[in-house]
Amino acid sequence: MKKHGSTSRLRIDAAACDGIGVCAHLASEVLELDRWGFPIITVRDLSRGELSAAKRAVRACPRKALWIETSEVPSVVQRAPGVTTPS
Amino acid sequence: MTSDELTMDQRRTPAPRSVAPDTSRIPPALLLHGVQIDRVGEADPWEPSAVEHLDHLVGRVGPRPYGSLDLITVIERAGLTGHGGAHVPAAAKWRKTLRGGGPLTVVANGAESEPLSAKDATLMRQRPHLVLDGLALAAEALGADRAVVWLHGDDHGTAATLQGALAERHAARLHEPTLELVRGPSHYLSGESSAITRALHGGPTLPTARRPEDPRSRNPRTLVHNVETLARLALVARGYPPSATMLLTVLTPVSRMVFEVPRGTPVVDVLEGTGWLRNGPPQAVLLGGYGGQWASWRDLRSATFDEPALRAAGLSIGAGVVAPIAHGACGLAETAAITAYLASMSARQCGPCLFGLPALTDGMRALAAGDASRRERAQLLEDLRLVEGRGACHHPDGATRLIASALEIFEHDVVEHVAGRPCHESERISLPVPGGHR
Repeated sequence: MKKHGSTSRLRIDAAACDGIGVCAHLASEVLELDRWGFPIITVRDLSRGELSAAKRAVRACPRKALWIETSEVPSVVQRAPGVTTPS
Repeated sequence: MTSDELTMDQRRTPAPRSVAPDTSRIPPALLLHGVQIDRVGEADPWEPSAVEHLDHLVGRVGPRPYGSLDLITVIERAGLTGHGGAHVPAAAKWRKTLRGGGPLTVVANGAESEPLSAKDATLMRQRPHLVLDGLALAAEALGADRAVVWLHGDDHGTAATLQGALAERHAARLHEPTLELVRGPSHYLSGESSAITRALHGGPTLPTARRPEDPRSRNPRTLVHNVETLARLALVARGYPPSATMLLTVLTPVSRMVFEVPRGTPVVDVLEGTGWLRNGPPQAVLLGGYGGQWASWRDLRSATFDEPALRAAGLSIGAGVVAPIAHGACGLAETAAITAYLASMSARQCGPCLFGLPALTDGMRALAAGDASRRERAQLLEDLRLVEGRGACHHPDGATRLIASALEIFEHDVVEHVAGRPCHESERISLPVPGGHR
């Protein structure tokens, strides 16, 4: 499913975020707002569907406070020990 | 405690020993002697303190060698870690710096933001040239374009000493990079490394989030080292074995004591030497200062001042602050006062810090006053989870770690306060928290 076993994560620059909240409207599957109206990321490694939702939020953020970080190495925490990587 | 007794104690303090000559096999210590200073404010020592001049330093440990990139393996082998509180290996920071390609600024961070800590100011006032040597070495080794000593704007005594030292180096016509003294704002986050980076590039002195960067970019690079780290670098580069000492700032009921102890010194010895055990052991000890964590006496009575050992026990000495509180003091009230202080020191940029720290303050104050409802207690725990790790810098994490440790260490008090029996002392704060005295 994931190309070359890369993982994508949604990131927030908390200093840039003003709590406008558009992100949570557009991507409720990956974000929720805390009780002060600031986004909390609820999903660590994004699936393909979640990735497109995250991209919507990134594009829509008026403060450009969101970005997607893609790493080539698959997340270790995601995989149970002893399970081999499918080639 | 009378001042006479304190003087006696100071004499028993293990640290103040004279610097070994360079012929000795013992690596030279960092401080010339221990000092006693006021509980709050600048690190002006009570007794006049010696300043090591350039020729004294050269007489003791020899001239500074040239800083080449081979130093990276030297500091790696020596296990040099940061002494600003986070204990990050210095070599790892150098490698990360070398991956970039833009103009490089190396910073000696002497802005000691933790209000209780005075070891950096004491070091710079006693041995300014050791710190400046370390800065020059790092700047040469990494090919820096700029080398800066960064201080709080209100640290006048340290600034005067460093200005004198820089003039001495200029007069001695040393072949070294130009070293600048830059005085930033005096606020708490002025010592945070991303805030320093931003300020030195013409922006406001406020923390920033680390955004991904193209490693091949020509963006400006900034390497920030704590001044003690650089002083240690100056000794390691001269071929001395890494000094197995720690600089501590110990809070007493009347003063702060700054001194040096061998790593692995029992906590008991340090507290005994500073007069803390005369009337029995303290109730608890705040390690690392206001952004640190509480430790119980049970955990500390057999512990030693050794960061790896403390880490194994879930503790950390941070930047070397040891602040005990006596029995009778209310740990929850102390924590509430510190939380209020940390909330007031927020840069007010990130929502979870801007709103979360005042909410945590309200929760801690209600708990300290003994009138926290079940809903307020649940909210406090929920907010701890909500704030943790969500700021651009680690300022809010310091507050959540402190509160989490207070709820654990003062668990018995929590139960009593919730049952409507708050401590008698919950109106009085024994730590010198800025704005904490009523």
